[in-house]
Formats: sequence, structure tokens, C-alpha cells
Amino acid sequence: MSYIHVEGLCKHFDIRLKREKGSLIRGKKRVQALQDVSFDVEQGELVGYIGPNGAGKSTTVKILSGILTPDEGTVTVGGRVPWKERKAHVRRIGVVFGQRMQLWWDVPIADSFELLKEIWHIPDNAYHKRLAELAEALRLEDLLRTPLRQLSLGQRMRAELCGSLLHSPELLFLDEPTIGLDAVTKLALRDFLLWENREHHTTILLTTHDMEDIAALCSRVMVLGRGQKLYDGQLSELLSRYDTQRILTVRYDRMPVLPELPAPVSAVAENETLRLTCRTADLDMDTLLPLLQQAGTIRELIVQPQNIDHLIAAMYQEMGL
Amino acid sequence: MQTIRLYGKSMAMLIRSQLQYPASFLMQTLAQLVMEGGEMLAVILLVQRFDHLNQWTAGNLYFFFGLMAVSFYITECFGRGITGAFPSMVRTGQLDTLLLRPRGVLTQVLCSAVDPRRITCIAVGIVSLVLGSRLSAIRWSFPKILLLLESIFCSFWLILGLFMIEAVLCIYSVKSVELANTLTYGGRSACQYPVDTYPRTLRILFTVVAPFALVMHIPASHILDKPLFAWPAWTAFVTPLAGFVLFGVMYLLFTSAMQHYRSAGN
Repeated sequence: MSYIHVEGLCKHFDIRLKREKGSLIRGKKRVQALQDVSFDVEQGELVGYIGPNGAGKSTTVKILSGILTPDEGTVTVGGRVPWKERKAHVRRIGVVFGQRMQLWWDVPIADSFELLKEIWHIPDNAYHKRLAELAEALRLEDLLRTPLRQLSLGQRMRAELCGSLLHSPELLFLDEPTIGLDAVTKLALRDFLLWENREHHTTILLTTHDMEDIAALCSRVMVLGRGQKLYDGQLSELLSRYDTQRILTVRYDRMPVLPELPAPVSAVAENETLRLTCRTADLDMDTLLPLLQQAGTIRELIVQPQNIDHLIAAMYQEMGL
Repeated sequence: MQTIRLYGKSMAMLIRSQLQYPASFLMQTLAQLVMEGGEMLAVILLVQRFDHLNQWTAGNLYFFFGLMAVSFYITECFGRGITGAFPSMVRTGQLDTLLLRPRGVLTQVLCSAVDPRRITCIAVGIVSLVLGSRLSAIRWSFPKILLLLESIFCSFWLILGLFMIEAVLCIYSVKSVELANTLTYGGRSACQYPVDTYPRTLRILFTVVAPFALVMHIPASHILDKPLFAWPAWTAFVTPLAGFVLFGVMYLLFTSAMQHYRSAGN
């Protein structure tokens, strides 16, 4: 059986409504957070979990990590049911919420780690070996004596990640780990996650809105919308379905004389630059290029697919999310 | 044993982190002294005016007041996780972080906060106990010392249990803090005087529902050699155990509330 096995997972929440005028009882609204979600993940996989806000991503992560009990469905992680054997289950997993800290605010991070060692019953030598390894990979060596409150957001994220991995979990959940980080820190964090996955064969499940994260880290991606699984497979395949537009940017040495272009191509001129948009299927460079050359002397020509965020937006739109 | 080790380490770290702001710590500690000193002043003024309450002399009343102050503030100091921090842990979702660690939730909640500023309140309580003991001319013996310690120890669990009512309610997201306060802070204010000064309904409340009378007043009255009831002396060692019973009941309710939390979540 697969390492993570999820079948027919359902979960609803009751949301209490505002009391209506003249009524004594507050009404309830039933929100179906997950409807019949099934998937399997093998050990050592790096899976991206995406979907618009409120799609049920966090609910899934909470069920898989044993914080929530589902209404229906079977879930096993490494043969255990998360919510039935909470303590045994959490011993083997690590969870990082991008917006929730578990380290202590006013003490040096090394002291926080010492306390985590106590909480997780990590043996001395395993702890020191792991801490040295993580501190090096996350470049934390010089920060260990600094209180958490004096660290920048990026440093804090690295410290959090280190804290969540001290007990060498075999499964790591990351909930928007790169939120609010600068480009350099983001790249470093991605490198680190790949390293952890490669070195320790750690299974990683990542939820994010940053498509670059997914593109850089995950070969497999699951799309969740309104509590249902809409896609499960390769990211490249998903993108190719929605990758239907090309953007051509042509820069001339002076203002171009706008050429007569075939109908499906739309053009916008802006000083020396001409911007063309067309469907991939209609793109016929052979006819287009001579027309563009008639308009003036071309200095630069760029053909681009649409930005990955646009593709995802198009996908959400098509799926009616 | 490991739990106690974890608790010790957590406390050491929390106290260190509070001492990161020494000026604020000092001022708040002094503010506590003024607050609890004022409470004691109320008792002093009372006994100056009336010099006794039923059969209780001024010294006796200081003793009762001291017993309550010491017990209550020890609880607020070491049980801070439950008495103060818990509702916001539920609201902010910090409780989830605790569920992701291989330790009991209540253990971790208690390990997550301490309030060392209460040390001055405890000190006021000790002064009052000593004063009460002198004025009442208590003849201390080994069983009496043991009885006093047992009473304080059991009171800790009793008061912690009462504070857990609020914790349980806030898991169900019921905002009825005031109701819970009647028993905790109300109980403290009322039961710093012996229970026999109150009308029957309050006596029942503080014996059966929030058994301050069983945990504090009966052993204290035996220490003062003025037993509340004409029961044999050994019963004074038994009645404080009511504190454990109340804590046990609240612990079970807390556990089932956590089950509810995990099926409802946030």
C-alpha cells in the first residue's frame, strides 16, 4: 500500500450565521470543505497541492497531520490512522505553517531547539548531528544565539523549518512556506527542500499559491477546488492544456508603421514597441515575420508563453472556481 | 518523570524570556504587591472594626486569608497556561501547534506559560499566614504542618480545575467567561473568609460545587483547633482530596472537549 493513502475523504464545517431579526436562534450554514477526495502518495515524493483560497487545502493537511477528524473516508499515513494514534503519528511528521510560529519569541533559537529536543525525546547524539546538519544547510550557525524576535522574516522561516525537522520526520507538510520571502531567500529555501528530499528521502507535501515554488520543486501537482480534486498529475501536462496564448514583443529602431495583420492576431503599439497576442494555434511565424519586417527594422523579437499565474487563473476560471 | 523534566525546562526558559524585559517585570511585580496588599488591608480594616467574626478572631481571619492567597496565587503563577493563556491559544490556533507534538495537550498548555510576577502576592499570603499563626497562638505539630501543606497542594488542583471550566467552554467557543469567573475569582473573594459566615445556599455552593470549604476551611479550622464540624481529626486529611476529584472531573471534560475540537476545528 502507498505511504499516504486517502480514500473518499469528506469533511464539513458548520458556520454559525448572524442572528436574524426577530429570531431567537442563530442559524447554521453547512460548508462542505472536502467532498470525496482520494489520492495516494509514495514515500520520497514531492507533491504540490494547489487551489484557490478556501479550496480545502489546509483542511486536508490538518486531517493528514491528525489535528482534525474527518466525517467520512479512510486515511492512513505509513499504516497509521492520524487522528486515532495522534502521538505515535506526529512523532514521524513535521509541519510548517508559513503564518504560524512554533518557536519561542524572546529566547535564542538554540534554546527553543533544546526544548523541542525535550518535547520530542530526541537522543543527545542524534540531536547534535541533526542540528549541525540543518544549521549548515539553512545557514543558521551564526544566528543560533539570537532571540527569535530579532530575526528577519526569512531568517525566522529558516529557523522554523529547522525546528520542525529536528526530529527527522519522514513526512513534511509545508503550508505556504515562502509567503513574504525575498527572491534570494525563496531560492535558498527551495534548494534546501530539494536537498532534504534527496538526502533523507523525506516525503514533502507543499501547499502554496506561488507557482514558481511548484514549478521548481514538484513534479507532481494536485489541484483542489471547492473541496474536490480536479487534477492530479504532472505540472507540465497541466500547464500545456492551458498554455494557449503567445505574446510577441517586437522592438523597432523607430516608430513602426502598423502593418495589416491577419485577424486572430491583436496588436498594440507603444512608441517603438509592438505587442502582439495570439492563440498558439494561430501563430504562423512564416506569414507574420515578413509583415513585421515591412513595418520597420527589427531590433529585438521576444516570443513568450503566458505567465504561469495567468495559466492557473485560466484553469480556475474554466473549472468554475 | 519526563513530564516533570519538560515542565522544569519550560519554566526555566519562560522565566528567562520574561527577564528579557527587567523594568517591565519589576514594575508589574510591584503592581501585584499593591493589588494584593490592598486585599489584605480590607481584612485588616474589617477586624479593626469588629475584632471577630462569629467565633473567628482577627488572627484566625488572617490565617484563612493567607491560606487562600498562597493557594490561589501559586495556581495563577504555575497554572498560567490554563488560567490566562488558553483562550487566546484556541482563538489564534496556537493550540494546533500543540496537537502536532507527541505530548499531552494539557501538559503542553501548562508548560507554555508561567507568571512569576505573582511571587509578591504569594509573599503577602505567607506574611498573612505567619501573622495569623502568631496571633492565633497555633501550637504547631508535625501533623498540622502536613495538613497545611496538603491543603495548599489540593487547593492548587481545585483552583486549576475551576479555571478549566473556562478553558472547556472556550473550546466550544462559548463566550461565558463571566459565569466561570463567579467560581474562580468569586470563590477566591468569598472563601478568604471561613464558609460558616455565609448563608446556607453559598455554603452549599462552596462545599459541593466549588469545594473550597472541604479543601481549605476544614483543615484550617483543625489547625486553629476550632473544628468547623464535630468530625474526628483524621477527616481533615481526607476532605482536601475533593480538590483532586474536581480536577479529575474537569480533566475528563477537557479531554472530551479536545475531541470535539478535533472534529470541529477552526
